[in-house]
Amino acid sequence: MRRKHVHYTRLLFAVLGLTAALSVVAPMRVKAETGSTTVTGVTAPASADIAAKGDPGAEMTGTVSDVTIADTKQGLTLADLANQAGQNKIAINFVWTLVAGFLVMFMQAGFAIVETGLIRAKSANHTMMMNFMVYGLGLFAYWVSGFAIQMGGSAPIANLGGVYPLNSEYVLNLFGKPWPLFGMKGFFLSGTSYDVGVMVLFLFQMVFMDTTTTIVTGSCAERWKYSAFCVSTIGLGALIYPLFGNWAWGCGWLSQLGANFGLGHGYCDFAGSGVVHAVGGLTGLAVAMQLGPRIGKYNRDGSPNAIPGHDLSYVLLGCFILAFGWFGFNPGSTLGASGNGALRIGSIAVNTMLAGCTGSFAALLYMWIRYGKPDASMAGNGLLAGLVAITAPSGFVNSLAAVIIGWVAGILVCVGVEFFDRVAKVDDPVGAMSVHGLNGLWGVLSVGLFADGRSNYGGSWNGVAGSVKGLFYGDAGQLVAQLIGIATLVGVIFTLSFLWNWLVDVIVGQRCNPKAELAGLDIPEMGALCYPDFQLKAQDYASASSNVGSPVSSK
Amino acid sequence: MRIAGVLLVVGGWLLAVAGLLLTTSTFMRGIFACAGIALSLSGIFGFLNQYYLARAIWKR
Repeated sequence: MRRKHVHYTRLLFAVLGLTAALSVVAPMRVKAETGSTTVTGVTAPASADIAAKGDPGAEMTGTVSDVTIADTKQGLTLADLANQAGQNKIAINFVWTLVAGFLVMFMQAGFAIVETGLIRAKSANHTMMMNFMVYGLGLFAYWVSGFAIQMGGSAPIANLGGVYPLNSEYVLNLFGKPWPLFGMKGFFLSGTSYDVGVMVLFLFQMVFMDTTTTIVTGSCAERWKYSAFCVSTIGLGALIYPLFGNWAWGCGWLSQLGANFGLGHGYCDFAGSGVVHAVGGLTGLAVAMQLGPRIGKYNRDGSPNAIPGHDLSYVLLGCFILAFGWFGFNPGSTLGASGNGALRIGSIAVNTMLAGCTGSFAALLYMWIRYGKPDASMAGNGLLAGLVAITAPSGFVNSLAAVIIGWVAGILVCVGVEFFDRVAKVDDPVGAMSVHGLNGLWGVLSVGLFADGRSNYGGSWNGVAGSVKGLFYGDAGQLVAQLIGIATLVGVIFTLSFLWNWLVDVIVGQRCNPKAELAGLDIPEMGALCYPDFQLKAQDYASASSNVGSPVSSK
Repeated sequence: MRIAGVLLVVGGWLLAVAGLLLTTSTFMRGIFACAGIALSLSGIFGFLNQYYLARAIWKR
């Protein structure tokens, strides 16, 4: 037994050495030669032994007998071991990324019930069906063109085996600098994109895009025509989201601000405070502005009325589901658990937890102090705000920074809801613009402040050597890169969303007719009530502003 | 008013990006970026939102 241990130790060193040597010789996607040194003296446990005793202690399962041998005549070689080690690394990363993607996909359920709980029962089917169909519509649009535009030039991604087929980016040369604008490989996942690594990347990126599209349905709930929602969502998933996704994650011009203009490590957005949440929140703002508020939301003098949601238990359960899914969102964005600093997943998960927790706590305290009661829906929104804000910095900051970022987010979401409600008078039934838009931008900014320079994802980020550092750790350039990212979100992405939805308004018409809205959108738009056995409160014009809820006051 | 709002919003972004090309000072680039964001926000809330508020359903 002792002798066997010595053999295994030698074998381990041989594999480690070979893996290290191979990692220097790029590209990695070349199978090691099978004619290399034969490995001898390694004995596998006898299958008869396992058959007789079983393996309750896991001492005989997963041994040399499980290594794939290329040439049975030659026997086990170092090349076999190296190939197996490489495949194991990529397998770990594939499984990690896929499971994280499945978690993010489940967030759709969280969004669906949070949004449905926060609107009135008479439009529950309509809101639920918008959340349900963003999955199908968004996925289709992303498969057709979105993925290619976003990730078509993103190779190599080492943690997923390279994804080498995604190697074509359109680059505009302007003012003596390259401006990578969009990817050009991967449309319909066809041609060379029929690749295992590309498929994993597609699934993971697709569920992120879907999160963006589902944010918009919240801010436009209870008055958005279903057909307009369908067309609007396709545009967001096929073009608008992927463009910014490319600029931030697909080797586009924002990510190259460090390499081309000396601004830190370029625009850094680890898991998508900007790419996913700010894009969703700003699109929600663009559409909600065009739609106008729900009937009864504002009195003739402009004072707002509170329109309570119909099920707080839905809201809080949905928030928990989202918080659970966020463990796929942030730690999953390493795109692996093995290699290139991906072991930082533990730190990222803890940062995620902490920011959500402090966001919820801060919002609860804010509402308690300001209005005299701890508000359940705002506590839930505080949790989401903290999670949104930590999404971009989660991979670059320490736990103290995560607490501060979450805390600020919790206050910011409350102030944001009051601003949109009372000052801007943009009706947002679920607070999506504050939760995702405002805190998405805060998350982007916080990278430029709090990134501590301790993360190391393979020695560089966005093509710039070293770790990402924010202003408080000595790199003001990183803060400027983040500010330019924010300017792009507000200046370009908002505009694209606004113009696209203006076009939808002209062609399809964005808003339901007032009678349908007052009756509730379930029957007029969907043909079926969500709660057929409930007695629902339909309204007429006269009672619309008096029976909705109590006027909002600060005390 | 909508066109003016859109132009302001895009203009804010152009101002932020112009800072990259007009100066190499990190501080000045930061100023350009902040000014650009402010300009874009004024386009959104000062023009576009005002256009829709003037036609809001509760004012009819």
